[in-house]
Amino acid sequence: MIPAIPFVPSTPFVSLVPLGALADWGFVLGNADYLVGGLAITIALTVASILLGFAAGFPAGLIEVYGGHYSEAFVASLGVFFRGTPIVVIIIVMFFVVGISPAFLAATFALGLRSAAYQSQIFRGAIESVSGGQMEAARAVGLSRLQAIRHVIVPQALRRSIPGFQNEFTIVLKDTSIAFAIGLAELLTRSYDLFVQRTTAVLEIVLFISLLYFLLTFSTNRVLDALRERFVIPGGEG
Amino acid sequence: MAERESRTGGSIDVGGRYDPIEVLGILAAALFWGWLGLRWLNDWFGGLFVREGQAFLPPSTFEFLPALAFAVEFAPELAAGVWLTVLLTIVGIALGFPIAIVLAGARVYGRTTRWVALGYIELVRGTPLLAQLFVLYYGLGLSSFIRELPGVGTVSVIPEQAVWVAMIGFTINSAAYQAEYLRGAIESVDPGQLRAARAIGLSQIDGIRYVVLPQALRYAIPGWTNELIYLIKYSSLAAFITVPELFNRASSIASENFRYLALFSLAGLFYLALVLTATNLTSRLEDRVAIPGLARRDERLRERSQ
Amino acid sequence: MSDPLLSVRDLRKSFGEEEVLRGIDFEMERRDVQVLMGPSGSGKSTLLRCVNRLSEPDDGTITLDGEDTAAMDENDLRRQVGMVFQGFNLFAHLTARKNVSLGLRRVRGFSKSETEERAEEELERVGLADQADSYPAELSGGQQQRVGIARALAMDPKLLLFDEPTSALDPELIGEVLSVMGELADDGMTMLVVTHEMGFAREAATDLLFLDDGTILERGPPTQLFESPEHERTATFLRRLTDLEAGQHG
Ligand SMILES: Nc1ncnc2c1ncn2[C@@H]1O[C@H](COP(=O)(O)OP(=O)(O)O)[C@@H](O)[C@H]1O
Ligand SMILES: [Mg+2]
Repeated sequence: MIPAIPFVPSTPFVSLVPLGALADWGFVLGNADYLVGGLAITIALTVASILLGFAAGFPAGLIEVYGGHYSEAFVASLGVFFRGTPIVVIIIVMFFVVGISPAFLAATFALGLRSAAYQSQIFRGAIESVSGGQMEAARAVGLSRLQAIRHVIVPQALRRSIPGFQNEFTIVLKDTSIAFAIGLAELLTRSYDLFVQRTTAVLEIVLFISLLYFLLTFSTNRVLDALRERFVIPGGEG
Repeated sequence: MAERESRTGGSIDVGGRYDPIEVLGILAAALFWGWLGLRWLNDWFGGLFVREGQAFLPPSTFEFLPALAFAVEFAPELAAGVWLTVLLTIVGIALGFPIAIVLAGARVYGRTTRWVALGYIELVRGTPLLAQLFVLYYGLGLSSFIRELPGVGTVSVIPEQAVWVAMIGFTINSAAYQAEYLRGAIESVDPGQLRAARAIGLSQIDGIRYVVLPQALRYAIPGWTNELIYLIKYSSLAAFITVPELFNRASSIASENFRYLALFSLAGLFYLALVLTATNLTSRLEDRVAIPGLARRDERLRERSQ
Repeated sequence: MSDPLLSVRDLRKSFGEEEVLRGIDFEMERRDVQVLMGPSGSGKSTLLRCVNRLSEPDDGTITLDGEDTAAMDENDLRRQVGMVFQGFNLFAHLTARKNVSLGLRRVRGFSKSETEERAEEELERVGLADQADSYPAELSGGQQQRVGIARALAMDPKLLLFDEPTSALDPELIGEVLSVMGELADDGMTMLVVTHEMGFAREAATDLLFLDDGTILERGPPTQLFESPEHERTATFLRRLTDLEAGQHG
């Protein structure tokens, strides 16, 4: 048998679950603040990764549409790399190979750059969906290309990216759990730490944190829905 | 994860003649899959050609190029992992598909079942896959149950219990994502189509089955491509419930010899080959089932934006 | 200053193998309204786009007010030559007022209050002061096109180009746009108009140019071209237009 990777137990253990045993739920609630601490790290990691993803992905999207031959090829191939590799591999490479530490920073870079690769596609699609006539009309009143991109194309493209962005946000949120692979004490890792202590409470603990993840994705989506409503162009399709 | 990747373009036809790049691609694919097939056969039948896990040619043959020698040394073990990666992907997508059809149908046409389907889909899509695998593996003790089944873990072709748990997990997960893609596809079929079907006397179910679904399934192919790629990549999470798939093998070898970069680069190449094969196959499928005169969904979207 | 406002000499433009404009010559005096007609694909749009350099000519010279346009800064040229599009191309994320304001602020460098005032005036001029805060998608096609005209006028252009400004409109909305264009003509605006509206050509045009296959086949006052065209192709084309219009109105 292959030796297990770090942080993965090599022998599965069996829980003999009396589902809903009160003592186990008591254990979960007793450790609620430990888990909520993990939740805070999960949220911080999500926000940091999304921001890094935006900071790198937005210009990358612009370059993919308006860039020169070489800059475009460079950005596009980086994108293929980050989109084609499993996120757990990227996280491990950032931590063990690139040697970024602490784990939080390594996870931020991994999730952030991977997200940038997806966000660039969201923005690229949004920019390309703004009709060519908009650029023409902007140039025809005498705006420079840069001005046209900045005042006419980008404001419309950003609005059109909100749905894709919404999707991306929940993906990053869920994938923060994979920082488990480098032992970052986010929500899932903390739940794991708890249930190896008390193997009868595995189901209770994982259900509890799943509920937290679910509440997070659900409420984030509602917030972004509201954002979209707020910025919708009257009479238009977005 | 809805709308992750946009599909890569189909094959390029240069005036009816073969495009050299495409020919190279086909050759590379044939070599890769031929080699993989031989590896798998060799290992399943207890060392048909060489010892299990040993390279067909000794790595020392390639001493002149250390990187290649390294790859040759470790590729056989990774190949065994690729088998599980492929198995998990195919099982997840194939078993998830019929469930997804039922879920999507309920979501679009159902009354009370709509809410059941919605609950399932949102719950699965709203929680991390890794947490789902933990529930199944550590939480429900599924593995101890599976271990008792005849043949599991003793007959070499039947995978061990963790693999079964992972297959169940990916099926549950993929069903929810596929259902969302299908729902989008069903809703993009003109509602007049179902009305026309009812008008010639088909029942609701038959109208959906013979008129709406054949169109919707075609529109679902780009989403389906995304799902396939998603599964290839996320099957790596099965490592955390001890399944020795590609990522797990790369990482356990690396934890012994500390050559993380080399091993993950090699594993990355394998993932890339799987992803490229998947996109290529689905794009061919899409060309094949395209209805003449009816734009493909991505083309329709493009047209609408102009 | 007896120079023509616009002079186009031996203008040529190809896309790949296809030579779309094969040597175009014409001039426009100030206050001229020249109407350009011709079959679809004959190069009318390309000709207009070469004038404001949305397309770069391959050969020939175009001068505006005595200045060679090829030597001008393209943004400055476009400030002086307004364009109105077939598909309106209003900035979808901006209100009518902001559509007019954008160029004033960013190209002409007006202050906020100057911009405000000028945008108001231009919308007034096309009869849309009360719709200033509507977004394009909330306006009818005719209203959108009038905003498009206001947007172009705000730049104080020396010359206005119109590329089939009414052909994307429902018949009942064409009139409001043509009447705005007619008023502009009466006010002395120099206009180069691609349109197949014979009524507008008859009433407003000083000259009518018939473009066919990349060259100007025939030109003259509208009555002359309508009543006694020299070329058979012009006659056929105009006859078909007349029949179409009769069909529409009858
Ligand atoms: N950007 C372009 N690229 C390639 N061909 C073009 C382009 N623009 C116009 N053409 C071609 O030039 C010809 C004339 O087009 P256009 O000037 O739009 O004609 P018109 O406005 O008279 O209908 C057409 O055959 C068209 O296909
Ligand atoms: Mg045209």
